[in-house]
Amino acid sequence: MDKLVIAGREFDSRLLIGTGKFASPDIMAEAIKASGAEIVTVALRRVDIDNENDDTLAAIDRSRYLLLPNTSGARDAGEAVRLARLARAATGINWLKLEVTPDPYYLLPDPVETLKAAEILVKEGFVVLPYINADPVLSKRLEDVGAATVMPLASPIGSNQGLKTRASLEIIIEQANVPVVVDAGLGLPSHAADAMEMGADAVLVNTAIATADDPVRMAEAFKLAVEAGRIAYESGPAAAGKRASASSPLTGFLRD
Amino acid sequence: MEMLKVNGVEKTFAPGKLPATVADLLAHLNVDAATVVAEVDGGIVQRDSFARTKLRTGQAVELIRLMGGG
Repeated sequence: MDKLVIAGREFDSRLLIGTGKFASPDIMAEAIKASGAEIVTVALRRVDIDNENDDTLAAIDRSRYLLLPNTSGARDAGEAVRLARLARAATGINWLKLEVTPDPYYLLPDPVETLKAAEILVKEGFVVLPYINADPVLSKRLEDVGAATVMPLASPIGSNQGLKTRASLEIIIEQANVPVVVDAGLGLPSHAADAMEMGADAVLVNTAIATADDPVRMAEAFKLAVEAGRIAYESGPAAAGKRASASSPLTGFLRD
Repeated sequence: MEMLKVNGVEKTFAPGKLPATVADLLAHLNVDAATVVAEVDGGIVQRDSFARTKLRTGQAVELIRLMGGG
């Protein structure tokens, strides 16, 4: 499998994993390990000052994984930039999953505010990985302002609906000069494999793993699916056709 | 009484008992400074500055931490 390269940094794994919704920090840590992921997204929230055991991410070995803070909760560019600066102060790293989602029902990203924030943050030296709707034009605009990737959604966050935006994803992948990470809505390993076979450079999965009955084994299943899909893509899939094409020779039949 | 607004909640202190610095406030709240980032009146305070960032009554302090998220 080729390496994934984002902003000049190489990764063996093409599966990014989110850390939300796990039943316990230990299960989360085990699932991350089983997924083989090297990039792990995290959120930024107020400390629960009434709960001393609030640090749920202590179980993550930060020397092994690149933490990718997100700006979840941001409703406009200003809030996203504020969260980004805090994230950098918290982690000491400048990688950022930029998300601006003012709509609480579908959590669809705001393209105008996302582009605005991306422009500011790239200038401030952030490696910006923006979460976007599957919009090929916006993808190019983000690339133009220096985004390190684009992360179009497959379907609404946490919906597990799979590749509802397929046609637009195909255009984004065809046109992109930065890695395309399909993010949000992938509910099954087959969805992830499908995205990788289409030529996505990576996928990001959280809910489908964290809320499975056995998150650790589901993480492994996604790992295998992502690898299978990528290897298939690199192998050049055979053409699909309408009619049958015999796999066995059409000569030498045992008949006169 | 003296007061700090911590994560949106007003915390009152007897005169002279207001935590002197961000580090003192974290100790007072039993919050491990190693995993926290702070804002005082909207300005980011880097972790290595917690001990020398003085607090005054009436200030708004945000204590923020990484949490699980996608």
